[in-house]
Formats: sequence, structure tokens, C-alpha cells
Amino acid sequence: MTVLEQNLGRNTLPASPAPWRRRSRLQRVAATVLPLLRRPGFSLALLVVVFAWVAAVAPHVLSSFDPYATSPIDKLRAPNLIHWFGTDELGRDLYTRVVHGAGLSVLAAFLAVGIALLGGLGLGILSGFAGGRIDAVIMRFVDVLLALPGLLLALAIVTAIGFGTVPVAIAVGIGIIPGFARTTRAEVLRVKTLPYVEAARLGGASWGRTLLRHILPNAWGPVAVLATLDFGAAILATAGLSFLGFGAAPPAAEWGTLIANGRHFLITAPWVSLLPGLFLVAVVFSLNHIARTFEEIQR
Amino acid sequence: MSRYLIGRIGQALLVLWGAYSITYFILYLLPGDTLSIMLSASGMEADALSVEDLAKARAYYGLDKGLFEQYVDLLLGALRGDFGQSLSLNRPVAELLAERLPQTLSLAGLAIVLSLLGGIGLAYLTAYIRWQPLKTALARLPSLGFSVPVFWMGLLLIQVFAFGLGWFPATGSRGLESLVLPAVTLAIPSAAVYAQVLQRSFQGVWKESYITTAYAKGLSRGQVQARHGFKNAALPILTLIGLQVGNTVSGAVLVETIFARSGIGRLAQEAVLRQDIPVVLAIVSVSAAAFVLVNLLVDLLYPWFDPRISHIPKVS
Amino acid sequence: MNTANLMSRLLAPCALALSLAACSPGNDTQAGKTLNIAFFGDNTTLVSVDPFQVYWLEHRVLLRNVAESLTDQDPQTGQIIPWLAKRWEVSDDALTYTFHLREDVTFSNGERFDAKAVKTAFDSDKALATELPATFGATYLAGFDHAEVVDDFTVKLVLSKPNAGFLQATSTTNLAILAPASYALSVKERSLGKIIGTGPFVLASYTPEVGAHLTKRKGYAWASANMKNQGEAHLDAVDISYIPEESVRNGLFLQGKADILWPRNPFSEVDLKLFQSKGATIQSRSLPGPALNLYPNTRGERVLADRHVRQALQKALDRKSYASTVYNAEFPVVDGIFDVTTPYFKSQGAKLAYDPAGAEQLLEQAGWTKGADGYRQKNGKRLSLSYNITPAETAGDVLIQDQLRKVGIELKLSVVTRAEWVANNSAGNYDLTINYMTRADPIILQTILDPRSANSSTLATNTYEPAVLEQAKGLFDAGITATQAPQRAAAYGSLQDLLIDESSAFPVYERVWQAATSPKVKNFRWTAEGFALLGDIEIGTP
Repeated sequence: MTVLEQNLGRNTLPASPAPWRRRSRLQRVAATVLPLLRRPGFSLALLVVVFAWVAAVAPHVLSSFDPYATSPIDKLRAPNLIHWFGTDELGRDLYTRVVHGAGLSVLAAFLAVGIALLGGLGLGILSGFAGGRIDAVIMRFVDVLLALPGLLLALAIVTAIGFGTVPVAIAVGIGIIPGFARTTRAEVLRVKTLPYVEAARLGGASWGRTLLRHILPNAWGPVAVLATLDFGAAILATAGLSFLGFGAAPPAAEWGTLIANGRHFLITAPWVSLLPGLFLVAVVFSLNHIARTFEEIQR
Repeated sequence: MSRYLIGRIGQALLVLWGAYSITYFILYLLPGDTLSIMLSASGMEADALSVEDLAKARAYYGLDKGLFEQYVDLLLGALRGDFGQSLSLNRPVAELLAERLPQTLSLAGLAIVLSLLGGIGLAYLTAYIRWQPLKTALARLPSLGFSVPVFWMGLLLIQVFAFGLGWFPATGSRGLESLVLPAVTLAIPSAAVYAQVLQRSFQGVWKESYITTAYAKGLSRGQVQARHGFKNAALPILTLIGLQVGNTVSGAVLVETIFARSGIGRLAQEAVLRQDIPVVLAIVSVSAAAFVLVNLLVDLLYPWFDPRISHIPKVS
Repeated sequence: MNTANLMSRLLAPCALALSLAACSPGNDTQAGKTLNIAFFGDNTTLVSVDPFQVYWLEHRVLLRNVAESLTDQDPQTGQIIPWLAKRWEVSDDALTYTFHLREDVTFSNGERFDAKAVKTAFDSDKALATELPATFGATYLAGFDHAEVVDDFTVKLVLSKPNAGFLQATSTTNLAILAPASYALSVKERSLGKIIGTGPFVLASYTPEVGAHLTKRKGYAWASANMKNQGEAHLDAVDISYIPEESVRNGLFLQGKADILWPRNPFSEVDLKLFQSKGATIQSRSLPGPALNLYPNTRGERVLADRHVRQALQKALDRKSYASTVYNAEFPVVDGIFDVTTPYFKSQGAKLAYDPAGAEQLLEQAGWTKGADGYRQKNGKRLSLSYNITPAETAGDVLIQDQLRKVGIELKLSVVTRAEWVANNSAGNYDLTINYMTRADPIILQTILDPRSANSSTLATNTYEPAVLEQAKGLFDAGITATQAPQRAAAYGSLQDLLIDESSAFPVYERVWQAATSPKVKNFRWTAEGFALLGDIEIGTP
């Protein structure tokens, strides 16, 4: 399959007879992305992610219902043309609640990945470059974080700083730090010995300059892939915590909360829990799919 | 080798102590006072009691010591294998663990076995299937596996296999049947990870030049796959199993809640919420110890799988 | 205990678990007639089945069938009737209660039930209440001084100050009489199930958060008049399991793995219809004691210090819609401060009508005007009420939030841990809060709303405006010292009026306890306090 993809990619490269010119960044991005769009799987995944993104930024575009207005006579309606995902036990439109929940869930995932990126990259780079005692201390700290069961640590943190979207995101972010730190450190150690880095160093560049000009731009790909994968993981982890009841203050609801609240009706009205869950799966799966596709291109 | 071992064990102990202390101090940061939780649990709020009564109650629950004193007491106790007394459950923590741990261990054990079987099985299946659309679908299956929230998968399995088909009981901690659904739920994300790593390794192996040699020696496709592809992936899988131990405890919190099993995952969640510090500390210690132990074993197993890795210092 | 010892203790059962996967002490012997009850989750904050300490309703159901009391209470009339005591006299000053005991009763360990056993029980209860004043049973013992053995089967209980609820207290599970052998054990041992009583069932085992197992008491023959079956129980055993996950619990019932499905909260409409379609009977009883009321914080700078705002809040609650939306169309609409099964209940229905227009008018008068966002404001401050919730919000909470939004009041639902909830309550850091207790005597209101004996004096104080507090205290005193029924009725009637007129309590719903029984379960009957008489139940073919 990989071979097939590479062929696809190469065939569509501009093969014009015009004199060679350095392509602009936009052209280069377009050249990698456009062929991918011809693959139905990738386009579909992109569509789902874009949909979730629009839902997070401007939910009103996607639904005209009020996510919080209860309507007792409409309670627990099965999915139909007016209520695409049906209604919940208070007659609220579930599709609208999923759309409005995106804002919180995506925000939480962004925050979590942001924290993990900052913390993990920082620790990893420091550890990889400094080496010696600093490396040992940081790695032991990372070991400690790894040894603590993630959800348990998150539970303790959320209980300590209070419930809500932001605390949950912080707890999840701290939980992802060790993975990021380890990957970054390994990458730094590998890149450190690459010929072009050694050349830069020999040429008199400082470590800081080497890092900024030579290493980071080249390490960007794997980190972006990891970040995309972890974005999905962060959505799942925040959903897990809000499933346990640590999420946003009602009536606002993250995806995990929607699934959690709907589970009481699993037998009588399965859509209340299963449809938001299915949507969540679609978003995370799409993110994973996109990340994997880019990863395959890079290899 | 022994020097390496001693060093590694030292590190492991340090990590354990770190995990213990971090947890203790995070729990200390929790809002609310343990005494008022205990009082409220017995049906009375702290503000309704006089100062003397409060002091009496504090002594009754053993909360009349300082923060640091309690920490040292607990730590020294834990070193002797005595995890103290649960504040709210009225019993020694060791007894609680002895009662709850087997539930979680059998769940986690079965889940790890299932995840390895499932992951490796899926990878082999993907490699053997020649029909491209199915092959692609199978290759994407692992991604789907870890895109599904554990709790949602649990609910779905209950709905289908317990209530729909009636094959397995939905809940409870009794018998092997009640273990199947929770173990499958817990196994899916891990299986997906193993499958993905193996699939990549199998893909990669066909590009290696020694494969040609292997074919030349007359090995069949299956033999090549089994010998070279699997060997390539064995190390990363071993590392992953080590890391997966931590995830299993996290997963157990959710799975045990949904399947109403009384294991340490649920115990931990409840203990955090009611600030039962000795119980949380004991669970953290046990799971961190398991994590550290498994990873130590994994490290020691590396040279056995890949002779290029050695723990004996090389002469430079 | 040393490490090796611990490890062996930890590992031995695991080896077993892996091979047999049968570590749990619960056993599922299907021998004979076993009734399976599925309750919701066990109490995880106070792990105890010691009758004196227990407030957890599910445990009280269990205990009612294991341990018995001096008296019983008629579920229809609320009258106190004989049980382990054949008859009794109360002195004119209402301070001395003389009980004449049955002479044919034994505990399940063979010990004789007599005056000494009763004295041991009351002395031990009092000792625990002194050691741990917070314990729940202490409120039942209020005013109790000492017990005197008059002869083998006559015992005198002496109070130091009047307690009009004391006779009813002797009928509760909290003052149930255990065998002297039980009191020789530590509180912890009792809490974990070492309970020996005189009831039609024996508590064979209790595993916290998992379940309990009851077996039939051979030779039982001293039921109170409340029991139809005066002899041994029809059932051989009762298996109780605690299942926190609602859908799972319901599924077990539908699969026939539980004969009685008995969650804490009433069934939703869809569940109710589903169970009925499978032939299940829905058993309901309003739990005696206060209804599910919200209590305001009227102190300091709080919004609810203004009586008009409180009255508007009272009118803005649509209780009828609450009952039919959250529960079902047949669900009773709350009608007063108490649930209807509480003795001396006085209906307040007329004052609890839904009147959004009236509410808006009151708010306008109080100077709260509607802003562009639909919420009312005064001096740039939004009309916002904070309501702490633990451990999670219910659909009902969100429905109320939306009902209040319609008149321009913002209800902030903050979900907090138990610890924070307790801290916020005792610091007065709330606008609305809840509390409820179950007891078939109006005196239970003292435990919530009389600052001198409430379990949270902050809540009890904050609920009244300063001027009203003394009036309320006076009515509580009148209620507890009254020795005659009409006096008590007058005192508690005025108290219920006062709480509604001052809007010091906002009834939301009637606390109905519902259980679904499968078609093969016969003769399910309620006690006065909303428990079940398992000795009456028969299992037959549907």
C-alpha cells in the first residue's frame, strides 16, 4: 500500500517543462495535500475534523436549536428529521448538544496537548542536550510520572484544583507529558549525532542556534504527527474524566458528559448515549487517520 | 551484570518513593478537611459540634497529627508492609487490598493475554490476507481500536452481549463469565497498539535484503513472517507491555465502574473523592511497584531478544 | 505485619482468582427459595451496617428484617404498636417509659431477649453517641438518660428532658435491639456485619459495595401486627447486591437475575413502562420525613435575603412539570414541606402553584430588571444563585435551572466533591442547598432545621431570616415537649406554614421510593418508614 501511495504522490508532481523555479511554501503544501484529497478515506476524515472544528468555533452555524432549552413534551424522541440525533431526557436536541459540546471538548484537548507539548518538549530537549546529572534527574522524574497510573493522577489533580473543563485539561496534559518528553529526548539524541548537526556545530553555531535553525525544523514532522495522535488521545482522556463526572458545569456538556448522562437510557433510548459516542469515535478516528497518513508520507 | 542490576533496582526504588511522595502531597492539597468529610459521612456536619467534640472526633479518627508526621508514619509503615487503616472503611488497608486486588489482577491478567492474542492475531491476519480492500480495512482497524473510548465500548458490549444476546452477565465479580466482557473492553486499546506495531514491522520487513536470502534458503512466506517479522517487532512490543501496565490501572477505574466490579480501580476513585489518603497511597504504591517491576523485567529481557543490547559494560 | 506476610496474603487469593475466578465472598447458591434484590450503590463514605449508625436507606431495609425494635409503627396510621414490647406506659411528665417485654423471644445466637438485653443495647448506644456525637443514632436518643431493669421482662427508659419523638424512635431500626454478644464486639466489627438480632432473617454476610446475604431464622414467631406472616419467613434466603450503574442494574432485572429492582431514585417514565410491559409491578411509597426541599441562605449579602426574591423563586418552580418530566405522568406532585406519609403532614399545595407571571412581577418590584441576555439584573449585578451539587447533577437539577431561566434567574449548578460540598455548606457559601432524612415522625425536621440540634447548624440558621429564627425555635420546642397529639399537630402545622410563608424551604419533589418486583414476587409490603417486610414475601410461579 505504501508503494501505491508513493506512486500516486510522485505521479502528480508538476512535470512541466517550464524552467525550474523554487516552489512557494503554499505550492509545496498543495503538492503533498492535493493528491491525498483524492483518497476518499482521507477526505472523509478531513471533513469530519473540519466539521468538529466549525462546531467548536461557531456552533450556531451548524444548528439553530438552543442547546440548553428544555422541552418536556419532546423528551426521549428517537432520531428523526427534525432531531437528527433524537432528544435527551429533558427534550433537548442531542445533535445541537453534541455540536455545542465540541467547543469545550476541543478546547480541553488543545489545552492538554499544549501543556504536554510545552512541558514534554521542554523536558525532553533539556534532558537530551544537557545530558549527565540533569538528564538523570529529569528522566527519573519522568519515570515517576509514568509509574503513576494516569487516570488516578488526573483524578487527584482534578479533585485538588476543582472540577471543570480547564482543570480536566490540565490533568490530562500533565498525564501526557512523560510520553512527549521521552520521545523528544530520543529524537534529540538521534538528531544530535546526525552529520548536518555536527557540521553546524563544527561551523561554530551555538547549541541554541543549532536547535532553532537545524534541529527543530527537521524534527517538526514527527512531533506534529505525535501531537495529532495525542490530540485524539486527549479528547478520549478528557471524555473519560467527564464521564466520571468531573467535567464542565451543567447545563454545558462535553462529549464525555453527554455519553455519561445518556447511559441511564441504554436499554430504553440507546441513541442518547450511543450517537454522541459514535460522533466522538468518528472525530478521534479521523484525527488518527490523518496523522497516520502524514506519517506514511514522511517515511 | 549484577552492578547494572543493583543500579536498576536502586532507580526503581527511587521512582517508587517519588510516586508515593508526589501522591501524598497532591492529596494534601485537596480542598476540604478530612475530618469534616468523615463527620459528614456519619451524618453530622463539623459546624454543629463543639470544640471539645471536634477534638474527640479528631482523635477517634487518628487525625490529630501534623502533615509531616502523618507522612513519615505512613511511609515507615508502608516500608514494613503495613499500609495503615482506611479512614472511612474502618479496616486495615492491607485487608482491603487483599480483598480487592485479586479482582483487578485477574481482570488485568486476562486483558493482557487477550490483547496480545488479539493484537498479534490481527497483525498476522492482515499480513496473510491478499485481497486489497480487506487488507486496507484490517490495517485501519487498530486506529479504530484506540479511537473508541473505553467506557463507551464497555456500554456497547454490555448492550450487545449481555442484554441483547445474553451470552455473558453484565456485572458482578463472580466467576469467569463475568470477567469476559470487562477484560475484552480493557484489552481493545492495548490490542490495537500491539497490532499496529506488528503490522508496521511486517510491512517493513519485506523491504529488508535478508528477506531475499530467507526466500533463497527456501523458507515459505509464513516462515519468513514468523521468524523475521515477529522478531523485529518483539522488542517494541515488550516495551509496550511494560508501559501498558500503567494504563491497565487507569482503564480499570472506568471498566470497574461500568461493570460494577469491586476491584482496586473503583476503590481508588472513591478513595480520592473521600480523601482516604492511606488507601490511595497504598493503591498508588502497589500499581507503581507493579509498573516498576514489569519494566525492570522487560529491561532484563532485552538482551535475550536482541543480543546487540547488553547490560555488561563494554570495554572502550 | 511484615512484607512477606502481606505478599503472601495478597498473592494467595490471586492465584485462586486466576484459576477459579471466584474470590468474592458472595455466593450464588440457588438452593431453595432465594430472593434477589438489586439495590443501587452501597454507601462508600460510611461503611457500616451497625443499626445505630446507619442512615443509609438500603441498609435500613436489610436491618429491619434482621434486628427488631421494642415497638413498631403502623404504616397506615402512623400509630406506635407493640412488637418486642407487649405494652408500655409513659409517665405524665413524659420522662419515663416503662416497657413490658415479650417473654418468648430469643436472639439468633440463642441468647434470651430480656430487660437486661434492652438495657445493654441502650447503654451501648448511649456510650457510642457520647464517644462520637456525630453518629446518626444520637438524634434518636435525644434526651435519653439511662435504662433501669425492673424485672426480667420489664425495663424502664428514663429521659432527662422531654422528647415527644422518643416512642417513635423505639420503633426504628436505629434503636433496634441487638444481642448482648453483638455489643461485646467493637463498633468496627458490628459495622462490617457482625449483627445479631431477633428478626425473621439472619445476616449471614455483608461485603461492602458488593452485597449481603440473609438466611431464614428458624423458629421465628414474634412478628408485630404489621406482618401478615406471623411465623417463619417463606423465603430461605435473600441475596442483596449493590449495583451503582443504573442501566446495568435495570438489565439484570429484565434478564430475571434480580427479583426486586430497588434503586434510590424513582424510575423514569421510559423505564417504568418497560418494566410494566414485562409484567413487573411497581411498588411505591412516599418516604416519611421532609420532601426533597431546597433550603435558602438568607444571611449576609445573599440575594435570597430578600423575601420577594424567595417568594418569586417559590412561584417559578413548576413542580408538576418536574414530576411528570423527570419521573412520570402518575408521579405525585409535592404538596408540602413533608412527604404525605409523615405524621402531622399539612398540605401547602395552594401556596406552591406554578405562577411565572407572579414571579416576574415580584422580581420587578424587588428591582431586578431583565437584561438583553434574558437574566435579571440590579445595579449591574446578575440575579444569580449558586447551588452546590455532589457527586453529579441530575436531570431534575438541570430542569429547575431551565425553569428559573424562564423568569430571569440564573441558577449556577456547581458540581463539587463531597469534601467541598461540606466545606461550602458549613461556610454558608451557597444560595440553595439540599438535605433530607427519612423518619416517620415530624421531629426529624429538627435534625435539619433547628440550629440547636441540626446536623448542620449553619444550614439551619441560614434558612431563616434573623427575625423568623426565634419563632421557628419556639415551634420546634412546642413540638418536642408536647405530650398530646393535638398539641403536636398544632405546633408542626404552624411550623410547616411558617416555612412556606417565609419561603424558607422550596419543596421540589415528593421523595417516593419505588421498587420494581418481578411477577413471581408476592406480598411486597412497606413499613411505616418505607422499608420492606421480607418475611411476608413469597416467591411463586407468575
